[in-house]
Amino acid sequence: MSAIPTALREILVAVPYRIWLALLVLVVGLVSAYLTGVINRRLLERAGVPEVIEGTAFERTAREFDTSTVRIVAKLSSYFILAVTVIVALTVADVNYLEQFWSGVAAFLPRLFVAVLVLIVGIVVGDKTELLVAERLRGIKLPELGVLPTLVKYSVVYVAALIALGQVGVQTLALIVLLAAYAFAVVLFAALATKDLVASAAAGVFLLLRQPYGIGDEVRVAGERGVVQEVDLFVTHIETDGEEHVIPNHAVFRDGIVLIRE
Amino acid sequence: MASLTDHLADLVADVDATLLFSPTSSFHERFADDGVEVVVVAPDNDVDAETFVELPLPFDNVKDRIRFGIEGAMDEGLLAEGDEVACVASVFDGGSDAVIRVTVDEGIHTGIYDLFTNSRAEPSVIRDVFEVAIELGQKGQKGKPVGALFVVGDAGKVMNKSRPLSYNPFEKSHVHVGDPIVNVMLKEFSRLDGAFVVSDSGKIVSAYRYLEPAAEGVDIPKGLGARHMSGAAITRDTNSTSIVLSESDGLVRAFKAGELVLEIDPEEY
Repeated sequence: MSAIPTALREILVAVPYRIWLALLVLVVGLVSAYLTGVINRRLLERAGVPEVIEGTAFERTAREFDTSTVRIVAKLSSYFILAVTVIVALTVADVNYLEQFWSGVAAFLPRLFVAVLVLIVGIVVGDKTELLVAERLRGIKLPELGVLPTLVKYSVVYVAALIALGQVGVQTLALIVLLAAYAFAVVLFAALATKDLVASAAAGVFLLLRQPYGIGDEVRVAGERGVVQEVDLFVTHIETDGEEHVIPNHAVFRDGIVLIRE
Repeated sequence: MASLTDHLADLVADVDATLLFSPTSSFHERFADDGVEVVVVAPDNDVDAETFVELPLPFDNVKDRIRFGIEGAMDEGLLAEGDEVACVASVFDGGSDAVIRVTVDEGIHTGIYDLFTNSRAEPSVIRDVFEVAIELGQKGQKGKPVGALFVVGDAGKVMNKSRPLSYNPFEKSHVHVGDPIVNVMLKEFSRLDGAFVVSDSGKIVSAYRYLEPAAEGVDIPKGLGARHMSGAAITRDTNSTSIVLSESDGLVRAFKAGELVLEIDPEEY
């Protein structure tokens, strides 16, 4: 009767100590991978991520495959831990064939994980900004502006792709130069186009903070005399009999203000 | 059931236009190629309808909502007197659950649509002031009814036709009606006398203003007091709109060009 336990004990002793350790590592890894996945999903859901990214193209595609962005990210984190666990277990078990290959993979894995994560976040943020910009522009019925949200989206995705490629070690110098040229063009164009607006806004901040004149005061600014009706960041509304002058704030600042007291 | 269906068919027979109140876009599409003119009445033009009337207040009372929609459509030239319209609206919470047939006549025209859309101030500002006044009317100050007077729009002129009763608590502030803090602030300041002056864009310019318009010949219903009188008179002297919460009967009234255009009971909201 004692033959079976003895045989079992022999088998147990025969299996090297390392294998047991490797198995333990594997089990701990499996559990922690599962837990990380669940915790990540819960955290992202608690943080309101699903509501924020609702309606983005990526989320909708994910929904079509009966999953969601949050779930994909959570799965990704657990797969990452799982992969690391497998590598650690193999190392512990001292499987020495293909050692070179595995050490290369071990170094590469975190980068790949970050790259995929950056890419997903980039695509989702790009989709979201596209939606937000489109929503802001919806009130303005101008078909030419339809290109703007797409442009914004692809800019965000482009930057995310650059970061992701950089992570996995692809040469991105040419792409970065392209990005720099693009950014420079956008900045230059914006600066030229909004020169007066920015100047007005700067003057408007002063006018709103210090209030040299308020609503109801009679003033003369930029050659127009009248009662102040409204002061906002960009313009001042001044009204005389039946005429309302809308004066950009930078003109107010440049030409000075005359307060009329009687 | 046949008679019920017949009745419904009679109800919508030969209508000149259909008014859809806050329809969903799929619901709206079903009407799109019906042949009858469709007018969408909603807070926002979410369905991209061609003919659209903005509903600045939610109007819980369906009668008021329909009146407002018809009046808006009349002012925009979509309907004329004598037209028969079918209104598809939501009476209880949820989807469109009622069909109401209305004959358009001048009696519906009270000027309330005009109040919102053709005032100097922006419609959303007038709506926000209305909401503040209505809330003030519902809650009062520490359970006691309060009165309040808001003069909206043309603030520069209003300021020149009034004088301060005390230091202006809104001096150098940038508070707009509709800001969440405003309800609390106004509730406190409404204890004090005088009018609130609100600019075209909704900035609260001043509190404690004593209005000094020429009140001769201003005709408001008998029984209303000095607050209503000065509120009505200032709208005749300037291009403003005044919204008055009565302390005695708790109603919110709106005046424009010296005349009473709207009367709302806050308890109904």
